[in-house]
Amino acid sequence: MKRASPFILGLCLLPGLGLILAAMGSVAYMAVAQSFGYFNLSGESRFSTQYWSEGLQSPQLWRAFFYSLKIALWGSLCSVLLAYPLALWLRRPFRGSLFISAVLKAPYLVHGLVAAFLFVNVISFHGFFNEILLWLGIIDRPLRMQNDRYGWGVIFLQIWKNIPFALIILSGAVQGISDDVLLAAQDLGAGAFDRFRKVVAPLTLNAMQAALVIIFIGAAGDFSFQVIAGPTSESSMAQYMVRLKETGGQWNAAAVVAVMLMVLALLGSLILALAARLTVKRVQA
Amino acid sequence: MSGAVQNRTVLNTFLIYALCVVAFLWLVIPFGMAILWSLVDPGTPWSFPDILPPKLSFGRWAQVWQTTSLPTALINSYMLAPTVAVITLALAAPTAYALGRLDFAGKGAVQVMVLLPMAVPGFVLAIFFSGLLFSLGIYSKFLSILLGHTILFLPYAIRILSVSFGQVNQDVIDAARDCGASPFTRFTTAYLPVLRPGILATLIIVFVLSIEEFAIAFILGSPDFTTVPTILYSYLGYNYIRPNAAVVSLILVVPNVALMLILEGLMKSANPSNVVGKG
Repeated sequence: MKRASPFILGLCLLPGLGLILAAMGSVAYMAVAQSFGYFNLSGESRFSTQYWSEGLQSPQLWRAFFYSLKIALWGSLCSVLLAYPLALWLRRPFRGSLFISAVLKAPYLVHGLVAAFLFVNVISFHGFFNEILLWLGIIDRPLRMQNDRYGWGVIFLQIWKNIPFALIILSGAVQGISDDVLLAAQDLGAGAFDRFRKVVAPLTLNAMQAALVIIFIGAAGDFSFQVIAGPTSESSMAQYMVRLKETGGQWNAAAVVAVMLMVLALLGSLILALAARLTVKRVQA
Repeated sequence: MSGAVQNRTVLNTFLIYALCVVAFLWLVIPFGMAILWSLVDPGTPWSFPDILPPKLSFGRWAQVWQTTSLPTALINSYMLAPTVAVITLALAAPTAYALGRLDFAGKGAVQVMVLLPMAVPGFVLAIFFSGLLFSLGIYSKFLSILLGHTILFLPYAIRILSVSFGQVNQDVIDAARDCGASPFTRFTTAYLPVLRPGILATLIIVFVLSIEEFAIAFILGSPDFTTVPTILYSYLGYNYIRPNAAVVSLILVVPNVALMLILEGLMKSANPSNVVGKG
């Protein structure tokens, strides 16, 4: 590789990295500044902590915060936990493994809004699921499953959409573990679960953390699944932020939610990654 | 055949059958229902207690095409996406070259920083990017979404192209230079053959992502600039029309899945989904 001169390097990095840093820096600055009363599109722009104090006292914001946290935690943890056995199963190719892999990865190619629509179709009051249960005689009248109060529908959609992603990331890591290592552990008397916690999990820790972080950030900022399939009594952070901005033009209040959402996404994913590392180290010992 | 291998074969067969059942529930039923809903005849609604639609036709497809803004949304989406793809490719190439072929201090940090747009929730980016554009006096919706998509998809393009640049053989470049090749000839003979799959993959990925992108198109385009995802959202929100939503869902999914399959073929060595992380 050639050693680059600072001038050439600067010219190369400017259109790509430069644009990204300028845009993302400006977006973050806009959000933080607007949350403190600056960049008002109408009225006077001046420093104020009013929006933060109102926001932090708002029960709606905290409900949305903890709801998004719940969805992100369930979504990321379940996706990774369910993807592990599949990645281990598909570690070595066998007859039909390519087909299985394609089927499992297919939801990844489906747009979030389409996924939510498909799901709602299946679980609606007279949807496929209810009709099958009625036909089998398991229930005598349809169940109301759409827009359930806890958000199980959204959690299911997060898992449906993110298992393929976790599978792709974990497959690479799992395939990198040598057969010799696993066979040695087996020869030493380690069962399937012991091999997982003492060999597989520690050796694939980085991939596990990457999958958890990416899925957590995506799920924390979810809008599409929540709006279509989520509980009507709850809002996700993104939904609440959009509502503040769209309905009352409350840019400053929306900015408070945006900063909180960024904190949730970044801090939450980092804590999750750290917790995963500590857990793996602990169960390994 | 040893007992362990035989057990494994039996287990695999059982798991394959189990997975076929799951796949049926996982994919066939949801998509089957979407296809059925899109084919429900507008004059004969599908309602309880009918298990299947009483009459199938393409009437709904024709009705959606003739009476909604779907044609406009398709034109907008399919004008926007190739423009975004070409601009993103052009802007990503120099940075990808630096990451793939140059040695410099802080390269690891640069690799992390180019991923920043992926770490910020989509609607935060969309809302405050719109605020930024208002402050700058940019009111064109096409231009606004074009800028937003370009920034959002630069990380994917940079990541794919930097891998391609890294695969160019230095010996071939040196040999071309030793033979007196001009910079342009060196590019076409040493770089381009290796870069071609990466360039195509970048164009396809950015194209697909731009067609599918919802947050920026919704926030910056509302209410009059529609794209395919925003029109789908309008049928799923307050104005819920299930058969129309089924038609638009299929229009959104089918071409993009086909393009992604082509992409898989282009990038056999590197799983494109790994790079894309789309959703």
